[in-house]
This record gives sequence, structure tokens and C-alpha cells, in this order.
Amino acid sequence: MKTSRKGLTVNQKYNITGWTFLLPAAILIFAMNFYPMIQALILSFKSGIGNNLKFNGLYNYSRLLEDRVFWTSFKNTFLYLLIQVPIMLALAIFLALLLNKKDLKCKGLFRTAIFLPCCTALVSYSIIFKTLFSFDGYINTVLLNLGIISSRINWLGQEETAKIVIIIALIWRWTGYNMVFYLAGLQNIDDSLYEAAKIDGAGSVKTFFKITMPLLRPTILLTTIMSINGTLQLFDESVNLTGGGPANSTLTMSHYIYKVSFEYNPQFGYAAAMSYIIFILVAVLSFIQMKVGDKR
Amino acid sequence: MKKKIVALLVSAVMTLSLLACGGGKETSGDSGDDSSKGQELTVWCWDAFNVDAMKKAGEIYTAKNPDVKINVVETVSADIQTLVQTYAMSNNLDALPDIFLMDDQVFAKYLQNYPEVFAELTNSGIPFSDFASAKVANSVRDGKNYGVPYDSNTVIACYRTDYLSEAGYTIKDLTDITWDQFITIGEDVLAKTGMPMLTNVQGEPDLLNMILQSAGISVFDEKGNISLVNNDGLVEAMNVYMELVEKGILQEQTDWSGYQGSINNGNVVGTINGSWICATIMSTDQAEQEGNWAVTNMPKLNDYPGATNYSAQGGSTWAIASSCDNYDLAVDFFKETWASSTEFYDSILTSLGAIATYLPAASSDAYNEVSAYFGNEAIYSKIVSFGGKIPTINKGIYWSEEKEALGVALANVMSGKLDLETAIKEAQSTVEFNIGM
Amino acid sequence: MRKIKNVSTYVILSIVSLISVFPLYWMISAATNNSTDILGGRLIFGTNLMNNLTNLLEQQNVGRAFGNSLMFSTILSVLSLVVCSIAGYGFEIYHDRAKDRLMGILLLAMMVPFAATLIPLFKMFTDLNLQSTWIAYVLPTISTPFLIMLFRQSARSFPKDIIEAARIDGLSEIRIFATIFVPTMKSTYAAAMTVTFMNAWNNYLWPKVIMMSEKSQTMPMLVTNLSVGYSIDYGVLMLGVLICSLPTGILFLVLQKSFANGIVGAVKG
Repeated sequence: MKTSRKGLTVNQKYNITGWTFLLPAAILIFAMNFYPMIQALILSFKSGIGNNLKFNGLYNYSRLLEDRVFWTSFKNTFLYLLIQVPIMLALAIFLALLLNKKDLKCKGLFRTAIFLPCCTALVSYSIIFKTLFSFDGYINTVLLNLGIISSRINWLGQEETAKIVIIIALIWRWTGYNMVFYLAGLQNIDDSLYEAAKIDGAGSVKTFFKITMPLLRPTILLTTIMSINGTLQLFDESVNLTGGGPANSTLTMSHYIYKVSFEYNPQFGYAAAMSYIIFILVAVLSFIQMKVGDKR
Repeated sequence: MKKKIVALLVSAVMTLSLLACGGGKETSGDSGDDSSKGQELTVWCWDAFNVDAMKKAGEIYTAKNPDVKINVVETVSADIQTLVQTYAMSNNLDALPDIFLMDDQVFAKYLQNYPEVFAELTNSGIPFSDFASAKVANSVRDGKNYGVPYDSNTVIACYRTDYLSEAGYTIKDLTDITWDQFITIGEDVLAKTGMPMLTNVQGEPDLLNMILQSAGISVFDEKGNISLVNNDGLVEAMNVYMELVEKGILQEQTDWSGYQGSINNGNVVGTINGSWICATIMSTDQAEQEGNWAVTNMPKLNDYPGATNYSAQGGSTWAIASSCDNYDLAVDFFKETWASSTEFYDSILTSLGAIATYLPAASSDAYNEVSAYFGNEAIYSKIVSFGGKIPTINKGIYWSEEKEALGVALANVMSGKLDLETAIKEAQSTVEFNIGM
Repeated sequence: MRKIKNVSTYVILSIVSLISVFPLYWMISAATNNSTDILGGRLIFGTNLMNNLTNLLEQQNVGRAFGNSLMFSTILSVLSLVVCSIAGYGFEIYHDRAKDRLMGILLLAMMVPFAATLIPLFKMFTDLNLQSTWIAYVLPTISTPFLIMLFRQSARSFPKDIIEAARIDGLSEIRIFATIFVPTMKSTYAAAMTVTFMNAWNNYLWPKVIMMSEKSQTMPMLVTNLSVGYSIDYGVLMLGVLICSLPTGILFLVLQKSFANGIVGAVKG
């Protein structure tokens, strides 16, 4: 009974079973994602008007170097990445630590409340953020009354403050989502480790860095890769909160790609070339992350 | 090969779905263009306003031709553009409806990039001379007609008369004036009532473009090349715009909801926009606004040669898709309604306030009826009379790019980041970059 | 000292919760006000709910859009869970170097912006004459690298000796998956369900492009029609948005307990 009737060893049989299990999903991804991606890659070497596209070598890629707007959007996106992702993930860990306390009451209530922003429809959240941060909106009124600012700020009308609003909006929307992953990771850590640390006289800060952080590593890896990917493809906030303005100061790469494809006279080849730049960036960053952070 | 793989996959997934949810129900396997089967015309247009107007035309036509059905599908303008482009790029024009509405500002662009989408109407018998000529020109390419003009794009200035009289002004004081005079009045009104005269969405230089066209200033030359640099008119128009903002006479809003909100809540004296703005003004829930609005022409660009008080903004045009199987029916539908029936235009005017560009309609009684909302004045005939005085300018297919670049230039100058000359140079090179694809 | 710490925990969590819930509260209160009041910044509940509801039902076919969204999202989520969970299981339980590499390649699939692949994908479906079918609606997003990875990681924590024992009992591999793995991983499934349903429900561009018939209009499309125009009625819009947000919210409320547990399984190294 060690070999099946076709003469395969058990291991070969399991190997084939494994491939059968993952094949539908893999084929679907190849057909639905990689096939169009290859088409887009071919497109990135073409240019022309309307439907009359001709091969143009690396023209689209060389154009990229001269495109001021693209590089502005590139800088904006990386600024979001460098500032927003660490703050959001740190905040998510912090909230998860608070919510992980054993004797905490109403856990479910807090958990649901903090998770809800990512379910809130984009239309309502963009309108309310714009209303809150408008010139005569509540944010200005509150800050004025508290004496933090001396005159009203045109939040969405100035380059720096518009960026700040986008970052705040992103943190608001995705912290809870990431927090749930950390919460889960924390519940997974054996209590006896903490007890031992306590007996050794380790403070809470030391415990966090010596025990919690290392054990949270797989979760941090997962959330970081997802956040990098999400930020580099950021689209909703740029379109709905600021429209990329003022003066392209909040424009993201994905938003620019959309504009070049559908709002301007269409330049699909060029848009595809920009997409491949994003692709390479995400792939490289994720690869580094995996190498540094994913030790089985 | 690839087709085989996908076909295999599809059957695999279907089998899976049968296992997973006990038989995938017979869902919508209907195709979009079932109009080909019978006497049905499918129409895409946006906003309840346009949908109702088209439905009305459908009713009128169906009354005479009972076996024809006009099926109106609400589709927002941006989606119509995306879908036209996607279907054209993938050579799948059958997916288009028989008739669709297109924004005037992008009509030329789509006609140029995807001429295969549009059915030619030159010899269809639709009397194009009955429409305002500047409007018809929007959908003409190489001397051939591709669209039936609809929604008026005539610019009007609307002001709250109650606020004006509070500051000691009447609508007469704001009629046939220059921007310099307007700014003087605006400062006075602001000082007396605390109210800005105008509102606008920030980053969208629509008002700037209206000022440009009112003075006959083209930002494209005859060949369609962008010419922003060394364009004196542009500099003057931008200076007017910036002065309005700096003096607080023009209050910029973060987006459309802020724009509509400031008008509907009475936080602003007035606005300047295409005549379709009347629908926005009348949508307020504040009953006291009724009767306190007045319509006049916009200020002109001081002593700039050729400056007028008239301009164009927005508007839309109907197109018949080349894939339409019932071309003759679609043409006949337009001939019977949109291109001949003044009763039809009267009814959409009185019931919806839809102002069209069909010239014979303007002489009818409905257009001379007074509007209680706008201070018992016959605003519609007034708007039509404005429409004939709009200067024509060269419009390229790069309108979106130009609008975007000017918006950036304005923001950069107003934030003090760049001086005017550099900002315009930058805008010029950005648009040139996009043209040089 | 301890008490102060406890109190501050509650204070912090309450503030964060309030900030998180505020837009949701605003959405609900806005649905009961008229358009002009909403734009004027009114935050308290109004009396215009019935009016908004009447207008909404008059202007739009809410029942049809809601039904379509519910049906498409459910079909998509269920199929997605079946395909991805079995793949994640396959990747982990039978893992070897080749399969690990394949996983790495599959992860690349989520890294290209959709705007770039939309037209090739659309062309593929029309070539196969599948436009306007539910298959075209669901097929592109059934298999996602994220979901496969989630199930792969959760399978890592699944005790291998249970599988060995089942094999000795003579169970086939697929039965081990279906009768032992699936029930044990209930919580992971709940977690995956929430995320997949949320994405499927909010999906806009692809359905808009591929479902050409008005009959297959979904809730996000309906809300878009309400949110663009010359004179937007924000009361009606917010009611539409509220109805559009309800199912995901309810699903999360129902599944939220197991959701946390599901992720626990997933991140167990």
C-alpha cells in the first residue's frame, strides 16, 4: 500500500495533490493578472493617437525622465509612504496593546468602533473630511478656540497642509484595519513569557522590545508589505479629497496614471510605462522586506 | 491557446460554483445591446435633469410611434467618457448604446481620438442651421457633423438681489460692466454685508477660461498648438482672477459640495457659470431665496480689445454611436423631437428648466414667460440672446490638459511659489509635453 | 498608579473610537436632514428621512441595485474562499521549493495599478464573448494573492499530526481538507469573508465596464449617479450611501469576534 496503483510513491502523490490544489488559483491569477500585465508591458513600448498605436521602443520610458508632473507625484507618494506608514503602523500596534489588556471591558465595542473607518463608504468620508477641513469648518473653529492657531487655515488650499490632511485621512481610514492584525498577533503570544519577564524585573518598555516586537514580526511583515503596496497605488484620497491639488502637490502616481489614461488625450502606452515603474518599486521593496523580515 | 485555457478555467470555476453554492443562479446573462432586436433605442446621459429631458422626448416620439421604446440609462459623464474609450480601444463598439450625451468640452477630443465611435450626421436631414452655430461647431470635424447640440453653454451671472440692495446696489449696476467696476462694487458689498460676491471651486480654473473666451482670447493657435506664453490676454485675465481671490470677492471652495453649499445656504451673493447653474440655484431648501435671484451678463475684461460680456461654459451634445443598428430610427427620432419640435423644447423648459440651443424654440411663448424664481423676469429669452454674442475662440482637443496646467499655474502664483511669467512658462511646457506624446 | 493607567487607557480608547465613528454618525444624521442643512454643516438629526427615502426610491431602482450587489458579492466571496483556501492549503501542507517560488511570483500580481490592465482584461473577456455575464463580473477577482497568503499562513499553524492520523485512517486528501481543515479554520474563513465581501461590494470600475446592461447596476454605481450632477441632493445621496454601507457593517458586526480569532490562526508563525 505504499505505492498507489499508478506506481507513484506516496510523496509523489502528495506532490501532485498539492499542485492540483493550488492550480485553479494559480491559473486564475496567471490568466486574470499576468496575461493583462504582459499586454500592458507590450503597450508600454507603443505610442500613438487613439487606437493607432505603433512600437516606439523605449520612448515612453525615456519620456518619463522629462515628465515633471510624474516626478512630483513620485515624490508625493514617497512622502506619504515615509511618513504615513510608520505612524499608522506604530499607532496600530499601540492601540492593539491597549486593547489586549486582560481586564479591559467593552473590548468588542472598541474593536468594532476602531475598525469601522475602513468600511465607511468613500463618498461620505471624503465629503466629511472636506467639510471638516474647509476654511470655515469645524477643525479651524476648534483650533482657533483652543488658541492653537491665530487665524483660519485654508487646509486643502495650501501644499503642505493639504498633504497633512491626506496623511491624517489615510491614518484615520487604515489604522483600525491594521490594528486587528496586530491584536490577533498579540493574542498569540504565550502569557508565560510575560510572567517570566516580570519575575526578571523587566519594565514594560523592555518587555515590549524584547518579547512583543520579535514575536509580532510576521504580522509586521504582512502589514508593511500591504501598506507599501497600498500607498504606492494610492488613488482614492488623491482623487476625492484634493483632486491632486493644489498645484499637483498631493497628486499620487496612480492618480496621474489614471489621468493620463482617461482624462487627458489618452496615452495608454505611457500610462503602462509608469505602471511598470510602480510595479518594479513595489516588487523591490517587498523583496527587501521578505528577505529581512521573513525568517521561517 | 489562451482562449482555450480561459474557457477551461471558466468551466472549472462554474463547476466549482455549482459545488459551492448549490447551483449558480441564472443571473443577468443579457447583453447590453438588445436594442438591435426590436425598435428600441438605448440612451446614456447623466443627471436626473438630462434623463428627464430625454425621457420626455421619448414620450413624444413613442406617442407617434407606439412600437418604439426609448430606454434611458443614467450614466455619469466621466463614466461615459471612460466607457467610450475602453470600448473603442478594445474594438468592441457594440457595447455602446445607440445614443449618448457628451460634454462639449471633451467632444472634440473624443471625435479626434476615436472617430470610429461616432456616426456621421451631415446628410441625415437633421437641420443643423437651426442650432446656434458656435454650438454646432463643437461636434464638427473636417466639415462633417457628428452631434446634435443640446444643453446651452451660455454663461450667465446670477446675483442675490436682496443682498445687493442691502449694500445699495441693483442688478442694473452689475450689468454691462467691466471687471474693474465689478471689483469696486465687490469690495463695497463685502465691506457692507460681509458676503463675497462670487464662489468657485479651487484648483478648477473654469472662471478663468470663461473670462478668456469672453474677450476672444485663445490659448491655442489656429493649428491647435498651445500658446500660453506671450499671451497678454491670459496675463490680464489671470491678474483679474487673482485680484478677486486676494480681495476676498471670490471665495474659493474645496469642492462642488462646498460650491453648491455656499449658494444654497446663502453664504455668497452670486456666481458666474453656464446657464445650467440655474438648476443648482433652484435646488435650495431655503424658501426665502425664491424671487431674490436675478440674471445678467458677466463683467468684461476691461479695455482689452474685443472684450465682451458673454462667454461659454460646459454644455453637452448628443451623439449617435456608429454601432447603432437602427441608425435611421435614431435619426428620425432626433428629427421628430430634438431638431424640430418647439413644443418639446417648451415642455422641457417649463418642467425642467432645460435651456437648449435650438433657435426656433427661442421665439416661442415659453421662452418669454417670466420666472418667479428669478425676480419675475423672462430669463430664458435673455439667456438665448446672450448666446448669440459669444466670441468664438480656437479650441483644441487638449482642453483637459490646458485646464489642468492653468489650475496649477494659478495655485503656484497665488501661493507665491512662482511669479506669473514662470508659472505660465511652466504651464506651457507641461501642455506641450502632453501634446508631444 | 495602576488606576490612573487604567483610566487613561479608557480615555484614549474612547477618544480614538469617537474619532473613528464620527463620519459614520455624520452619515446617519445626514440621511435624516435636507440637502441645504447638510451643506450648512448641521450635525444633529433632522426630520427629513422619509422625504429623502421617497425621493431616493423615486429616482433610483434601489431594490434592484441592492439585490445585484448582494448576489454578485456573495457569489464572488464564496468562490473566492473556496479557490484561495484550497490553494493556500496546497501551498503550505505540500510545500516545497518550487511551490514557495510560485507563491512569490503570484504575489507580484497585485503590484500593477488596475488602470493599466483594465483594457487588456476587458478585451480578453469580449474576445470570449463573456461581457455582461456574472462570470465576467466575478472571474478576475476570485483568486487574489493576499487571500492565498492568508490561508497559507493559517495552514502553517494547523497541526500536521492530525493530517497524518487522518491519512492512516484512509481519508483522501480532499476529504482531509474539506472535513478536517475547513471546520477547524472557521475563524480564518470568517476573516477572509469580511475582507473579500467588502472588496467585492465596493468594486466599481470593472463592473461598470463589463456589465453593460442597466439591469446589472450595483449599489456603488447607483451612489455614483446620485453623487454627480448640477444639483446634488445630499440628503438623498447620504441615505443611498448609508444603505450602501450597511451590509459590510452588519457582516463585520456578526463576524467580528471570529474575525480576530481568524487572524490569530493566520499569523501564527
